[in-house]
Amino acid sequence: MSRLIDVITSSRPEQRNLPLDQVCGPLSIDQLFEECHQLDQFRRQRENLYERVRALFFLYAIHRFHLPRRLAGKELGKIPYHGYEHLLNRRFPEAIDVFLHGQKSSGPSIAISSALGEAYHRLAFQTLADQVRRSVRTVRGNQWMFRTGHPADVPLRIRPELLKTGEHIAGYPVLRERTAVRMDFSHSGWSDIFFLGMDFPEGARVINASIDLAVRGRHQHPVPPIDCSLRVIDEPVLRLVSIDLDAKVDIESINEVFDFARDYLGLLKGAVIASGIIPPGMEGCGGRIEDVFSRMIGPGLGLEIVSRVNDIPKGSRLAVSTNLLGSLISVCMRATGQVSSLTGELAESDRRIVAARAILGEWIGGSGGGWQDSGGIWPGIKLIQGTVAGADDPEFGVSRGRLMPTHHVFTEQEVSPDTRRKLQDSLVLVHGGMAQNVGPILEMVTEKYLLRSENEWHARLDAIGLLDKMIEALNKGDIPSVGAATHRNFHEPLQAIIPWCSNAYTERLIAECKNRYGTKFQGFWMLGGMAGGGMGFIFDPSIRAEASDWLQEMMVSVKRSMEASVPFAMDPVVYDFAINDHGTFAELRIDGDVPQGYHPLMVPGWLRKGISALSPMVRAELERVGNAVREGGSESGLATRLMNRILPSTVKESRTSGRLDDLLLENGFDPIAHEQLREDVLSGRFGLSQNRLHSTVTIEDVRADEILDARTSVSNDVVAVGEAALEAGQVGVVTLAAGVGSRWTQGAGVVKALNPFCRMEGRWRSFLDVHVAKSQKTAAEFGKKPVHIVTTGYLTDAPIRAEIEQKFRNQNVFASKGASVGLRLIPTIRDLQFAWEEVAQQVLDQQKEKVRTSLRAALINWARSAGEGSDYRDNLPSQCMHPVGHWYEVPNMLRNGTLRTVLSAQPQLRYLMLHNIDTLGASLDPACLGLFIKSNSDLTFEVIGRRLEDRGGGLARVDGRIRLVEGLAMPREEEEFNLSWYNSLTTWIDIDRLLNRFALNRETLHDQKKVDAAVREFGRRMPTYITLKDVKKRWGNGQEDVFPVMQFEKLWGDMTALPDVHCQFIAVPTVRGQQLKDPAQLDGWLRDGSAAHVESLCNWK
Amino acid sequence: MRIRKAVITAAGEHHSSLPLQTLVDRQGEVRTALRLTLDDIVSAGIEEIAIIVRPGQSAPYLSAAGVHASRLVFFEQDNPRGYGDAILRTREFVGEEAFLHLVSDHLYLSKSELNCAAQLIQAASRHQCSVSAIQPTRENEVIYFGTVGGTPVAQHDDLYEVHTVIEKPTPTIAEQRLVVAGQRAGYYLCMFGMHVLTPGVMKLLKQSLDAATAGQSIDLSGSLNQLAQTERYLALEISGRRHNISYKYGLLLAQLALSLSGRDRDLILTELVNLLASR
Repeated sequence: MSRLIDVITSSRPEQRNLPLDQVCGPLSIDQLFEECHQLDQFRRQRENLYERVRALFFLYAIHRFHLPRRLAGKELGKIPYHGYEHLLNRRFPEAIDVFLHGQKSSGPSIAISSALGEAYHRLAFQTLADQVRRSVRTVRGNQWMFRTGHPADVPLRIRPELLKTGEHIAGYPVLRERTAVRMDFSHSGWSDIFFLGMDFPEGARVINASIDLAVRGRHQHPVPPIDCSLRVIDEPVLRLVSIDLDAKVDIESINEVFDFARDYLGLLKGAVIASGIIPPGMEGCGGRIEDVFSRMIGPGLGLEIVSRVNDIPKGSRLAVSTNLLGSLISVCMRATGQVSSLTGELAESDRRIVAARAILGEWIGGSGGGWQDSGGIWPGIKLIQGTVAGADDPEFGVSRGRLMPTHHVFTEQEVSPDTRRKLQDSLVLVHGGMAQNVGPILEMVTEKYLLRSENEWHARLDAIGLLDKMIEALNKGDIPSVGAATHRNFHEPLQAIIPWCSNAYTERLIAECKNRYGTKFQGFWMLGGMAGGGMGFIFDPSIRAEASDWLQEMMVSVKRSMEASVPFAMDPVVYDFAINDHGTFAELRIDGDVPQGYHPLMVPGWLRKGISALSPMVRAELERVGNAVREGGSESGLATRLMNRILPSTVKESRTSGRLDDLLLENGFDPIAHEQLREDVLSGRFGLSQNRLHSTVTIEDVRADEILDARTSVSNDVVAVGEAALEAGQVGVVTLAAGVGSRWTQGAGVVKALNPFCRMEGRWRSFLDVHVAKSQKTAAEFGKKPVHIVTTGYLTDAPIRAEIEQKFRNQNVFASKGASVGLRLIPTIRDLQFAWEEVAQQVLDQQKEKVRTSLRAALINWARSAGEGSDYRDNLPSQCMHPVGHWYEVPNMLRNGTLRTVLSAQPQLRYLMLHNIDTLGASLDPACLGLFIKSNSDLTFEVIGRRLEDRGGGLARVDGRIRLVEGLAMPREEEEFNLSWYNSLTTWIDIDRLLNRFALNRETLHDQKKVDAAVREFGRRMPTYITLKDVKKRWGNGQEDVFPVMQFEKLWGDMTALPDVHCQFIAVPTVRGQQLKDPAQLDGWLRDGSAAHVESLCNWK
Repeated sequence: MRIRKAVITAAGEHHSSLPLQTLVDRQGEVRTALRLTLDDIVSAGIEEIAIIVRPGQSAPYLSAAGVHASRLVFFEQDNPRGYGDAILRTREFVGEEAFLHLVSDHLYLSKSELNCAAQLIQAASRHQCSVSAIQPTRENEVIYFGTVGGTPVAQHDDLYEVHTVIEKPTPTIAEQRLVVAGQRAGYYLCMFGMHVLTPGVMKLLKQSLDAATAGQSIDLSGSLNQLAQTERYLALEISGRRHNISYKYGLLLAQLALSLSGRDRDLILTELVNLLASR
């Protein structure tokens, strides 16, 4: 029997918890393939969720980490395109079958293993997601909602109390629900991920507290941050209002309730669906809201649901959105009699059904939270634990644990009022200002848990032990020990499991606290999935107040110093908090009191509509507002806020617009070329479909023997040539850093080169740190400091120059500023549709796909209303401008004089190695350099064997000429899968030969006019690509919208297409040529040895 | 256990005219709705019948009762405090005997040879305990009925041991507390409007009334739920259908059901087809 199957099925914990690496380490390649075969058969046959998923993760890990080491030299292989299509369409089992067939017919290779690893990985997560979804649907109390498919079937009725018209006001009473958010002490190593709780219920334990909040300096005292209301209205519509998102809608059709991304009200819609008011079974029924409400409430009546979050920004790690969802669901369920109490606290059984519905709502809305997240529904401090599934549970026989955990609320005997007070007197809660995506971290945790990586497993057990220590300390009222435990939890087990849960910013804050307060700083407290957003700092109560004020200032100043390199969504804030002893709490307001901010949002619309068009209830409401304004009502500043709404300010907009024009002027924007581009885009001469080469072009693969090869040992005489050049100081490095690396921060607009992404030799290091450290190593080895030029753009120039000045002053590092910039355009609908429909796309999970479809419809409306092809100006100036592609970065060095300066100072310089900022393995390797020098080429490009993730073109024989082809230019997408080599973009440049191609030389570099003319002339020969880039627009409290905007680019790889430029190509090892594009790659990069390889190339002294 | 007394509640807001509504029975004879019910329960062995009415409304019932008028005793519910209070008014009439209880606005049509009341009385007599008649009902209608949760009684297809009774639950609550093994998904056992109850229920109703705040109404389901915790209490799936004649078209549908199961079935079907064809 397979050893790995034995590990999966064993009932003995020591066998079951055996790390995969330990089992696979001694196996030969044949044994590994045999294990893969048996595991694949095993996962196909087993019904048990845990067994299937663990087998899938084993298969993924073997193909991702173990086989590539044993397949060195067998990088190349063809990944069948129809397998890739299956992958995109989420048909993972079919994709695996196709890849396995490919492996069998053409033999194993790293390429095929990369495809298999990805397919197994995706199938594993799909299996988990399917199981959670199934469990959510089968929770008792949720099932009926999937069977109710027509308005005539509506089984709910509004509570009669909500239909009693008030004596004091014209209208119906308001049901107000106020809910706390949750603050977790420890989640025992993210054990609140659904699958962990369902597989290892004994280890799934969380302590969290329900808390009220106040932003220090903005609010007077802590209150429940979530405030929702529901009332009957005299119009047959579903009115949804989000005060904090400044959005409202009157919904008349059932289908619109399921259109999540149409507006900012997706979460309210999710609550309406999950509460059963419009149950999920009604999706697509095409009925009218009026038909539902006439049965549920009465003819001609409707519902208004209002939500307000009290200034808590996104990324607070306090599960605001899940608790908001829970609060909305609770108010809807109270109103329809689905929970026992209309007002006051909820009973325990009611809390459980509300929490189950919140999980359902998260799934419906395409988001996701952990099972502890609805903790604000419960009161006080509680221990939430996974529970073993019993015979009555739908999970029984499928998973070991139940989907829903159990909550134990600590009594006053267990955690005394004095302890609670001491906690409030010690802990300073903050939002550090970073808003990050915690999703990749949760995936990494699940994966590591299932692989039982040794360190991770011990860390998990350690975290579970620490949670017990926290309970013990809470029992004793020993807050410093709580602080010590949360501090160690963050620094030891959590970072041992996922190093990326920390970051340079957080560690700087901790260090500052330690420096200033010494032992009076009692510990750091990570909240939720990762640090940087919501966090806690525990201080001695005697200094807490002072420390709160100091933290506010210190965080802002640290943020200022790092904001070019770290994605911040907002300025940091400090909260005051209080433990909430009620959980979610409702009251029936017969005085019609609605959440604050409702009237300023609604009244302008009512006034625009005209009094005669308003319903009697709205008219009465308007009169009340009028009276309140005249008499100085309870809402402070209502009159001012109303005036601000009715007469909006326009000053800010014009100022922004003016700054953008100045910046464009300063950065070499060419308005004539811009107008030409717009004309070309609108007329259809330029566009995504026009990027492609003509379909008659033949594209063939390039054999290994047609290019140079540095993957295996290179002869000593070639290496000696390279070494000699290095010793003579003839070689420099060009690091391309003009772009911001939009994928790295999802369009946040920070400088990727400066992002401290990884800890090396004990400190957080940026991409630029790594590249300069490699040059340092070359200097140490060959006795000459290589010149290191960092190319910059309008957005990256100042921060990079400052960094060079501060860190690398005497290290032969230069910045070369971009000399041109573009202005982004609103995309054409034609190009949006091409990108979404013609280009192969990853189909998302069922619910997420629905959300995406809805979002795309909204974006098409945006493009239409904003004007296709018009200038994109509705954002920060830096987000409206764009760099014009990396082809310009070498000519820029000629135009801005950087190369001239460098050559004047170091005339021996003959060669340059140009590389992307994210190609961390690129170094001044004497073997590659020697091969390049001996090849006598103008340019030599490095290529690597293609793996599944290496998309975007490659090395091909195009109509007989070997050249690089961009992915954008591929006539047919499937042709890329026939290409064995991927372009790393690392390029060796012979300076004099290149100047010669530009009709220049070292002397004419001093003639600016000649240089400009030469570059312009050369640029005309380079193809222009139209691309869509996702750009973030930030607004409100850390809210973000992402817009696809259009820009143009010229790309460096197209130099290989020019017949007069002599190009060569070198195959290099993957670790040298691979690129780090996405933070989700980091963990694999660390674990497969790539990080260690990069570190070995660096000299940190 | 011999059941010879019946309690009929008729003190609802619209109940005064209902007993006078006439229908054509299975044999083609015209009778009042009340008379049809009384015929059934008397043939099932009931000798004394108490009817709870609004003050001053006994006369129409008396005239609609026909030959059964002499068996009737009326209780007027002044200061009404709900359905449970109405039943409690007959406490002395019931005494220490088990009794049949039904509501006046329903018409019960049996599908078997035994009428609905007789089926229920037979089950109660055999098992010597309270039994409520029930009917599987789809979840979108449970909001209108008292609903029971329980377990099937071994060797019986139609009998359930009652654990829980909830008045007009939402499907959310029904799914959590009232799922009964053997029922189709989304179906619950809802009250049929007919019960045989032991006198213990009167004590429970009294306790409920005493515990209620001034002016608060009490229902029967709460006391039945308590009954299930204190003594054996069964639910019988009746072979028959109930028709609430107080609903819109309730009387028409009851008449159609009655006629389509009686002597004039062909005549009614022909008339219905004619009506449909001429539209």
